[in-house]
Amino acid sequence: MIFKVGDNFLHEFILSKDIYNGFLDTFKDKNPMHVNYNFALDHGYSDIVMHGNILNGFISYFIGELLPAKNVVILSQEIKFNNPVYLNDTLSFYGTIFEIYESVGVINFNYKFINQKNNTVAKGRIQIKKIK
Amino acid sequence: MTTEEIIKDLNNIFIDVMEDENIVISGATTSDDVDDWDSLNHIHLVVSIEKHFKIRFTSEEIESWKNVDEMIINMQEKGI
Repeated sequence: MIFKVGDNFLHEFILSKDIYNGFLDTFKDKNPMHVNYNFALDHGYSDIVMHGNILNGFISYFIGELLPAKNVVILSQEIKFNNPVYLNDTLSFYGTIFEIYESVGVINFNYKFINQKNNTVAKGRIQIKKIK
Repeated sequence: MTTEEIIKDLNNIFIDVMEDENIVISGATTSDDVDDWDSLNHIHLVVSIEKHFKIRFTSEEIESWKNVDEMIINMQEKGI
């Protein structure tokens, strides 16, 4: 198998205005926490908070575009949000393979996103399957 | 482990993967007998079985199983 336990992957994402607007336009989640600066400030944040599920889009990009094999599909993924993400944050994605089940082509990753202040903003697991 | 002990553990894995407390498997059980035993759940089953029993199958072994009995024989060949 092209993958092995312990393989590490790193990629840097910038949560740009285009990505934010694209998510907002596509999914219409205009909760004031995501669009109203004063509302976000009143609730203890320093700016409008980016939609957590934008990070799932980054995970999709990682699986679909950055792995050394294209014949893969996501079987499951989980994400825990540890800290808010703000517009123009730079997020370093670290993914590590911790399990492989060759009989069924299943590969399990741990991952985390770390922002430019070195805070973990999200982490979780992804399970993919390599299609024959 | 005895065959009965393996089936008991397998039954718990099936219940967990299929999220159905009513599943009762036997050696003769096939995927036709369990509603949610589809190709995707089959993958999750194999992963759970390999993890639980600390064994590894090959894709050829998995494709050869016709029922739970053949799965168990395969497991016993691996020292379970």
